[in-house]
Amino acid sequence: MIHEAAVADLRAPPARVFDLRVALALVRRELLRYRRDRAQWFGGVSRTILWLVILGYGIGASYTNIEGYTYTQYILPGVVALNIIFASMQSAITLVWDRQVGFMREVLASPVPMSAVAVGKLVGGATVAAMQGTIVLLFAPLAGVALTVPRVLLAWAVMYSLGILLMSIGVLVASRLATFEGFGSISNGIVLPLYFLSGAVFPLRGIVGLGGFMVDLPAWLRVLMYANPVTYQVDLLRGVLLDFRQLPLPLDLIVAVALPAAGTLAAVEAMARMRRAG
Amino acid sequence: MSGAAPVFAIECAGLTRCFGDLVAVKEVSLQVAPGEQFGLLCPNGAGKTTTHHLLTTLLAPTAGTGRVAGVEITSEPDRVRDLIGVVFQEPALDDRITARENLELHAVLYRIRPRWIPALVQQALAWAELADRADVPVRTFSGGMKRRLELSRALLHQPRVLFLDEPTAGLDPQGRRQLWDRVAGLRQRGLTAFVTTHNMQEAESCDRVAIMDRGRLLAVGTPAELKMRVTGHPEATLEGVFLELTGRGLRDEEATPRDRLLGFARRGGELTR
Repeated sequence: MIHEAAVADLRAPPARVFDLRVALALVRRELLRYRRDRAQWFGGVSRTILWLVILGYGIGASYTNIEGYTYTQYILPGVVALNIIFASMQSAITLVWDRQVGFMREVLASPVPMSAVAVGKLVGGATVAAMQGTIVLLFAPLAGVALTVPRVLLAWAVMYSLGILLMSIGVLVASRLATFEGFGSISNGIVLPLYFLSGAVFPLRGIVGLGGFMVDLPAWLRVLMYANPVTYQVDLLRGVLLDFRQLPLPLDLIVAVALPAAGTLAAVEAMARMRRAG
Repeated sequence: MSGAAPVFAIECAGLTRCFGDLVAVKEVSLQVAPGEQFGLLCPNGAGKTTTHHLLTTLLAPTAGTGRVAGVEITSEPDRVRDLIGVVFQEPALDDRITARENLELHAVLYRIRPRWIPALVQQALAWAELADRADVPVRTFSGGMKRRLELSRALLHQPRVLFLDEPTAGLDPQGRRQLWDRVAGLRQRGLTAFVTTHNMQEAESCDRVAIMDRGRLLAVGTPAELKMRVTGHPEATLEGVFLELTGRGLRDEEATPRDRLLGFARRGGELTR
């Protein structure tokens, strides 16, 4: 046993508002879990091949171009977003298990401020999501997208913004679920709409039909797409990777900064309530 | 935290917790002396986990007060959390990381200074007899190994009071024996232990036992006292005392969300963790 004399010095003084060491340790936890999770890796690669390569070339055969870009080029940023959506939801949803019968009870019983736990969870999940998104970038040369160092760095910034936003949405949902029985429907009910309604697979302005005529999207569809926060980050990502945007840059930037910030505050609040609730 | 040692390691008065109309814990008052091993013996679904959660500050009481290691559980829960070690009914380990990583994470949660962490973690691994499995993911461990790791982890930050909720749930008889030997060994460290269980034999090794049913304390005393007082026979078993006090009817409880979640995981909900 360590001697009593040392005990006085054993622990650092309490951090009541935020504890950076705890947040970083929880980010490390997410990375350790990811490193050993070959299934998640495989999912990221197979989704990329399925969407980017198979669908990209398959549908690309019918559409010659979207505003001068091949279909594969057009959807590459969208597939990055898809991998981020999947990874974020997967990370957030483990909270349900964690809180009821898993590791989160260890955290709730410990003296850590929940703000640090929430930030650690969000940043950890977003980091894993950014790595899953990066898998898609590895296929960029194949899709005819030329990457440069600044493009990749900016893309990572957007990926983090999207990851933090989706993690906070996931944490808000997970903190209200008591079981997983509805998990399949919830994940399909969140992941797929966020993806399909983001302009990831078809442009916001409408589709150029086979005869070369512009087919406008119906108004209700546009409303849903503009209401989807992912739309703005996908647009920003496409701007970063292809220099092509469909929305005003200031609007994209406001959404990409303000929503993840607001989501983080809401997630901190939701996780603080977890401690003494129920 | 400094100053005179508190008279009681745990004391509560009129502790009550309601969930809607259900009164899960009703006016529980008890005192546990420093260094004592105290058992809360209770049928399933009769308030032991709620009591455990109230004393470990995971739930706020609806009414009543409590102090753990001299600190008020309602007004200073963070200070209480600093001073206690907690072991839950199902392992609260991250089973996708290694034993060492779990212990390192725990050390950070309890603000152990970085220079002490390697030594304390090594010591905890040795105490759990897991030094040779330190760098393997916990999911490959048996139930007994997970329990040893959890117990060792709960002691790593040198708590004053240890709370164990059904620590032998899911263990085979050898595993149970081994775990109780370890808990009994903590007496020499002067550590107070508050253990909930529904297993009579296990409660026999406690200094004092409280019997609880339907959220109320029915009797408190040493195992010998309770046998004498309740059944009139010194050679009665605690089981006899227990049945005498709580009745013999079968308990059918509805599955809680937690039970349903565990069932889902057993059916293969691997993705969910």
